[in-house]
Amino acid sequence: MLRKNKLFIFGLIILISFSLLAVFAHMIAPYDPSEIMENEIQGPSVSHWFGTDDLGRDILSRIIYGGRVSLSVAVVAVAVALTLGILIGSIAGYFGGLFDEIIMRFTDIMLSFPTIFLILAIQSVLSPNIYNVMIVIGATSWMGIARLVRGEFLSLKEREFVEAARAIGCSDLRIIFRHILPNSWPPVIVAGTLGMAGAILTESALSFLGLGVQPPMPSWGNMLMDSQAYLIDAPWMAVIPGLFIVLAVLSLYFVGEGLRQSLNPKEKQ
Amino acid sequence: MKILIKSFLIASIIVSFAFALDHDPNGRLILSLGGEVSVMNPILSTDTTSSAIEGVIYTGLVKLDKHLNFVPDLAKSWKVSKNGLVWTFKLRKDVKWHDGKSFTANDVKFTFDTLMNPKVNSVRRGDYFIDGKPIKFKAIDKYTIQAILPKPFSPFLVSAGMGILPKHLLAGKELDMAYFNNHPIGTGPFKFVEYKTGDHVLVSRNPEYYGGVPLLKEILFKIIPDENTALIALKTGEIDSTGIPAKDFHPIKSVNLFKYDALLYTYLGFNLRSPKFTDVRVRQALSYAVNRKQLIGLVFRGYASPAYSPSAPVSWAYSGDVSKYEYDPEKAKQLLKEAGVRDLEFTLFVNQGNKEREKGAAIIQQQFKKIGVKMNIRVLEWSSLLKVINARKDPKDYDAVLIGWSTGVDPDSYSIWHSSQYPGGLNFIAYNNPKVDKLLDRGRREQTKTGRKKIYAQMYKEITGDAPYIFLWYPNVLTGVRDRVGGLSEPGPAGLMVDIEKVYIKK
Amino acid sequence: MTKYIIKRLIQLIPLLIGITLITFFVMHLAPGDPTALFTDPNIKPEELTRIRANWGLDKPVIVQYFVWLKNAAKLDFGYSYISGKPVIQEISERLPNTLILMSISFALILLISIPVGVMSAVRKGSAFDNIFTVISFVFMSIPTFWLALVFMLIFSLKLGWLPSFGNLVLPVTVMVISGLAGITRYQRASMIEVLGQEYIKVARAKGLPERMVIYKHALRNALIPIVTMLGLSLPDLFGGAFIIETIFAWPGMGRLGVAAVFSRNYPMIMGITVLTSLMIVIGNLLADIGYAIVDPRIRYAKKE
Repeated sequence: MLRKNKLFIFGLIILISFSLLAVFAHMIAPYDPSEIMENEIQGPSVSHWFGTDDLGRDILSRIIYGGRVSLSVAVVAVAVALTLGILIGSIAGYFGGLFDEIIMRFTDIMLSFPTIFLILAIQSVLSPNIYNVMIVIGATSWMGIARLVRGEFLSLKEREFVEAARAIGCSDLRIIFRHILPNSWPPVIVAGTLGMAGAILTESALSFLGLGVQPPMPSWGNMLMDSQAYLIDAPWMAVIPGLFIVLAVLSLYFVGEGLRQSLNPKEKQ
Repeated sequence: MKILIKSFLIASIIVSFAFALDHDPNGRLILSLGGEVSVMNPILSTDTTSSAIEGVIYTGLVKLDKHLNFVPDLAKSWKVSKNGLVWTFKLRKDVKWHDGKSFTANDVKFTFDTLMNPKVNSVRRGDYFIDGKPIKFKAIDKYTIQAILPKPFSPFLVSAGMGILPKHLLAGKELDMAYFNNHPIGTGPFKFVEYKTGDHVLVSRNPEYYGGVPLLKEILFKIIPDENTALIALKTGEIDSTGIPAKDFHPIKSVNLFKYDALLYTYLGFNLRSPKFTDVRVRQALSYAVNRKQLIGLVFRGYASPAYSPSAPVSWAYSGDVSKYEYDPEKAKQLLKEAGVRDLEFTLFVNQGNKEREKGAAIIQQQFKKIGVKMNIRVLEWSSLLKVINARKDPKDYDAVLIGWSTGVDPDSYSIWHSSQYPGGLNFIAYNNPKVDKLLDRGRREQTKTGRKKIYAQMYKEITGDAPYIFLWYPNVLTGVRDRVGGLSEPGPAGLMVDIEKVYIKK
Repeated sequence: MTKYIIKRLIQLIPLLIGITLITFFVMHLAPGDPTALFTDPNIKPEELTRIRANWGLDKPVIVQYFVWLKNAAKLDFGYSYISGKPVIQEISERLPNTLILMSISFALILLISIPVGVMSAVRKGSAFDNIFTVISFVFMSIPTFWLALVFMLIFSLKLGWLPSFGNLVLPVTVMVISGLAGITRYQRASMIEVLGQEYIKVARAKGLPERMVIYKHALRNALIPIVTMLGLSLPDLFGGAFIIETIFAWPGMGRLGVAAVFSRNYPMIMGITVLTSLMIVIGNLLADIGYAIVDPRIRYAKKE
């Protein structure tokens, strides 16, 4: 328990630091991330802690602003996924019957796609930018949450407090949102955290392929795309953004795992 | 006399012997392709990888020499009628297709008729219509073909260079799906052997080639999509030649480096129907604000030439007497002030997937910031961008666009600058200058090169004075060839292997 | 049993129709189309319109879908817009390469994750378990494409040990590292659950040697979910293949698909999506059936 707690704390600290960096980027970043300076492809130095890229821009500043991008995409994408997942899952779980059947079939269909390929296909027909990346990732990752919520609803809807609410004459909508949902938060929160981790990975893969956030707006993924041509000459351009992705995702996993263990009454240690 | 002839004969035998000793008769040249081949059919293909293969398998009526002049190929001579309407080509009689059959004028007529068939998906069809009327082809006899133009049109020779297809193999077949497209038969110096998807295309020597027996036994085109991987393959000797990214263009062991100008330029085009850009001073100001030296230094490591006019320096029609807007941010600010413009903000469209344009846009954005102009960059997927600039409406939905033109071999740029080519043609910026319109018409009708050169020089001066584009750069072509390859042509826009049959591998 | 299989097979059909419908409409939603291949801006717009009409792209989307569906039922997925070759032929040329990559990777993953997962479960809470847990999490956080880049940097470019393309070693290594974590944790969880069961306690109480308890009784039962794991990993294995093949220029179906996406090669995109989804669906079906066969509890439940 203690061990896990350490990891949880570690993850939380990283997450909070990254969030602060993201929110206060304009105050913390040493340079303007688009500013072109005279010394391109320089390794880490005193004036540029992470060096400069091929256009002479400060990599540290780009990492900070890139973090803002990656985190906002993660948050919005998961918000979309949660909204869709909760809506779909609660309707399926609460009303059951034909609704459930149809919705579950649809969910199965979505789950049968090679997701990354579907996202690629969608992004290639749109003009990719940060906004449609958020929506597309959200629109293709709600399935797990829907199943989870449906499961919760299936088990909770037979409980006494629901019977009681019905007896008083509460409408279905009210029952769903005021009574059942609040009791199914724990797994949903955990799913949300893991969803954010996945969203960061997906967004960086998309931006790496050129189908996500477009330059010159920095994203950890598109910084990696630019780094490919300079792999030998400027390896720091490739190594640093990747490390940040790993840190962000790892901390989300640690936090998620910690939450899962503390919120789940069945888990004994 | 006899002694002279004898000694000459002996000398030439010795020289050719020496020459023969120098080149490997079983030489295999290995080139790289940047992607998959689509269809190996010159009237259908649109990508550069397929044209690379077509270039050695097919030949046309005429071809380009290293100075970009048209010289005889399948046609041994040609003449134009006095009124400029009838072009008569006399064809060689010694040409055989790769399957042994003889080449005749019927093959030429078949090729062009098929190209102009609306049911065939050829994008080049429009090139054979002048003001909406088709060019008619007539086979006068077995070895004479005539092209009858609706109007005099000097640039016609460019279209006459199209690779010729064999009638006996394709007549009556549906061209787009033909088996032939992946198993081509042509009249060129090399025959098609095999195409392994994702891996390579192999062609071998055509001993019956009318231009002389090729010195190479085979050419292997290896498919290597990533330019960095191709560079590594060049260094290790796995391939003989490839393009080199600017940042890697320094001495490489056993490799000869070549640098020459390409026939294309990149520019920032203004939507002249937008109120933001109607004042010529604004456009000129923005042109003065671009520091091309910094751009070229960062994007190309210096391997590009700054562009100031719509004509590449290697073109015979190039003229340096144009309005040049060389970097002068103070002048830019002053012009903006004169025009009464403050806080100018606009959006630049760039197409997704082109690293150089992406970087260029980012740099220009910063350069404009210095004179107080805010330029937003919006990246559009290629066909979405095309949809915007080709939309048949007026005004079109964009402020400015970063894009390029390949200038082609003939300086006629009617489709880009003539006022009639808007909104339905390539003049998507809505450029309208009656003087330029007249010059474009005259340039097409004038038959002499010197006459045309004068006309175009005048035209470039007019155009640059109006600053409808910010001309940015002409890229350099940077190539490396391993030193075991001989017979290369002088570096020039026609490439290094203009006469592929003369290329050889040293022993 | 057979009834179950037949029922599932019938359910396949609406599933496939749903998949193809969604893919087709998504592809056609956009303001672009295959004439995007023609990147030469010198091409006149009228030519593109004419070619579009020739390809039947000017008909309403729903009509195009039914034309496609009719052909697909005959396994005719049309011709690639790039190469003109039949889609089904190009895919079948590349599919074996992807399957090789996936199967070798999956085999290696199993080879490593089963022992590690079991050991972690047996020594739950120990240093071994904790270290491997952290390692698992780290592996799960590494973006596949970044790992690929870093490996290429170290092993191909700096050390020169391996060629950067055409070779299986690096792609498989990347794929294995990416997929290892999930399965290891799953195996661990499964083993922990089994070890907590009544009959294990009974076996221990009987005095059986610990090793026998673990390997003879627990392991066998803990391995059962591996079958489901195969089904569940398929989407990720395919997804990984798409990216890894592109980076390492491995001539498989994944790279073909990514290239098709970039060039709006509709027939190819449809063909690959349908075939991949089909394989995933069948994989899941086989996994379910296998599970039903192997797990006596389910088998007996079905008999009722």
